[in-house]
Amino acid sequence: MKHDATPENAKSVKVSAGNDRRSFMLAGLGLAGGAAAGSMGLLADAKAGSNLPPDVPIWTKSLGSGVVAHPYGQPSRYEAQVERRTVDWLTADRMASISFTPLADLKGIITPSGLVFERYHSGLPEIDPGQHRLMIHGMVKQPLLLTMDDLMRMPSVSVIRFLECPANGGMEWRGAQMTGVQFTHGMLACCEWTGVLLSTLLEEVGFSRDASWILAEGADGAHMSRSIPMEKALDDTLVVYAQNGEALRPEQGYPLRLINPGWEGNTCIKWLRRLEIGDKPWYQREETSKYTDLMPDGKAREFTFVQECNSVITSPSPEKPLKGKGKYWIEGLAWSGRGKIKHVDVSLDGGISWREAGITSIVLPRALTRFGLEFDWDGSPALLQSRAVDETGYVQPTYQQLRDVRGTNSIYHKNAIHTWNLQPGGTVANVQLS
Amino acid sequence: MYNCPDSITDSQGRVGSVSLFKLAAAFVVLFLLTSGIVNATDRTGYYGLGTPASPEEIRGWDIDIRPDGKGLPEGQGSVEDGEFLYEQQCAECHGSFGEGVGRFPVLAGGEGTLTDSRPSKTIGSYWAHTSTLWDYIRRTMPFTAPESLTSDEVYAVTAYVLYLNDLIEDDFVLSRDNFTSIELPNNLNFIPDQRPDVANGRCMQDCKDPASIRIVSSVMPVVRAVATPVIDNRAAQAAGEKIYGQYCSLCHKSGMGGAPIVGEVSDWQDREAGGMVALKKRAIDGYTGQYGFMPPKGGFTHLTDQEIEEVVEYMVDSSQ
Repeated sequence: MKHDATPENAKSVKVSAGNDRRSFMLAGLGLAGGAAAGSMGLLADAKAGSNLPPDVPIWTKSLGSGVVAHPYGQPSRYEAQVERRTVDWLTADRMASISFTPLADLKGIITPSGLVFERYHSGLPEIDPGQHRLMIHGMVKQPLLLTMDDLMRMPSVSVIRFLECPANGGMEWRGAQMTGVQFTHGMLACCEWTGVLLSTLLEEVGFSRDASWILAEGADGAHMSRSIPMEKALDDTLVVYAQNGEALRPEQGYPLRLINPGWEGNTCIKWLRRLEIGDKPWYQREETSKYTDLMPDGKAREFTFVQECNSVITSPSPEKPLKGKGKYWIEGLAWSGRGKIKHVDVSLDGGISWREAGITSIVLPRALTRFGLEFDWDGSPALLQSRAVDETGYVQPTYQQLRDVRGTNSIYHKNAIHTWNLQPGGTVANVQLS
Repeated sequence: MYNCPDSITDSQGRVGSVSLFKLAAAFVVLFLLTSGIVNATDRTGYYGLGTPASPEEIRGWDIDIRPDGKGLPEGQGSVEDGEFLYEQQCAECHGSFGEGVGRFPVLAGGEGTLTDSRPSKTIGSYWAHTSTLWDYIRRTMPFTAPESLTSDEVYAVTAYVLYLNDLIEDDFVLSRDNFTSIELPNNLNFIPDQRPDVANGRCMQDCKDPASIRIVSSVMPVVRAVATPVIDNRAAQAAGEKIYGQYCSLCHKSGMGGAPIVGEVSDWQDREAGGMVALKKRAIDGYTGQYGFMPPKGGFTHLTDQEIEEVVEYMVDSSQ
């Protein structure tokens, strides 16, 4: 479309002026200068170069839209490619499936609420918070039903913690299979979570000292359920109603979910409706048939709660190829379910030599931590790796080390050092090394 | 409690009856604390929020079953009844023999495969507890109608799935009374978490022999600009409808900006007269003129040309 469309547009308004509905609406748009100018911007930027110096960009020479054009707000339309994506062959249907966080395009350590990966077992329930109840019962003095209002009146805490599906990266146990970092590591997010400590609720109902496990259950069709040990519940488990400063997104459990910091995302029951206090685990489907780790000898590990220390380079990555020789900023994310990140090392030669990267974000326990390193690319191929160390001294392992112990059929908890193959043209491929 | 020792050995060294009473009271409290009847710092009801959950309210939601049978309701179901229900409500996804349709879960078979390179993890080959099966069927099956089965029906379907796994005979009737007698074959093969189970070092130099490094598997990135693959008309129609709902309906529902309204036959007649090719081109390139204006692709330039063509077809088809 032409840059000088304004007179034509104005004329068209005049020509079609009449008393029919459409003319009225057009005239209205003509008067609403903001809306019209906005559309001009859309038309003009198809003409390459006209917005660059010495020309003055069209958006600088016109009125933009007014306030509350988008009462909630949304990203720039130029960011439309930054979105969750799924991989259809992974699951039977989209109601019991997963989508991935676009890690390559994110900055800092907070994942925007709308980009946090989704995991449903019976689709996304739409819950009326006025009719939502949290039931707490079992080995307690006083079984309770709590409304959202009740929960808001209790002492509130906020923490920044990562959330990771234990199957994150599980498709790569046998070899490189996924096309980008969104799919190799994107069952991962980090948010500020606000809610009530579970220990506060347990005291309120008067839990029995003989209690040792809690069943948490969702209000979705799956009635998603996991057994949580009492030690964790009394330590740092949260019953949260807010995420990044606003109510939880429906995809994240609106109006209420559990957060078990540093533990399998699957234990962080969404749409939380019930907590039963007991003295044994319940051996629910999601802690026996699923989320158990099958070892090479046919035995399977159960209640493998902790998400161990892990890291990945998010740029360069398949989604962020390099554009010619010169200086670049290598960056990525590291996290550990056991505490804080202590160091992150980066290798450019497939693990022969390592350099310590800088930590470029705030360092919080059980939160994503960002690292970065200057990189002067001479155009030659490179094998990029990152290796995180947490405050317990645990060093992120290699694939070989993990496979030697666990084989390739354990599905969950793959936290191996990951490799990107930077090719001479700047393309980045997902690879695994011998 | 802190006063008790002082009371029994006070400055005069007397041990009075009152002090003995206090001592006894202290032991009672100590007993209650250690027995779990009273918490160390009992804050029960401190906030006074919420309402007591009645036994009836709890009964409606308390659906979990433990391996020891705790939670199982009265009832029973036969393999025979289960077969009828299974064919009706389960076989579409799980297959008549529990073999699984598409990527829906396989329920039967797979015995002895757990150490294979491709294990088949079924109820018979992998699951640990019969209670998990009963619990899960009641909890969320059938997939499209969770919690719709009666207790007797859950017993029956559970029985049939056990039968499919050769764990009970075809004349078996499963009930609360005989439930815990059925053990799943793999139930002793679960072990506690053993992590951390690997110990990497933090080597910084000469950590590997360069000659040993070989790329053993590789996946190239996806270039996102490529057009979506060719899809049949029905799928295209569905895709068009979805795109319309997400991006186009704002203007094409209301007539904003002079947009032709979907469903208003007269709005589309003139435009269709120019031919579908021209109409699609206008939607892709944008339009300003006699009827109003439309930015290229309605402003959603991340949509592919093909997606725009599909949505135009959908809108025209819906306005005949």
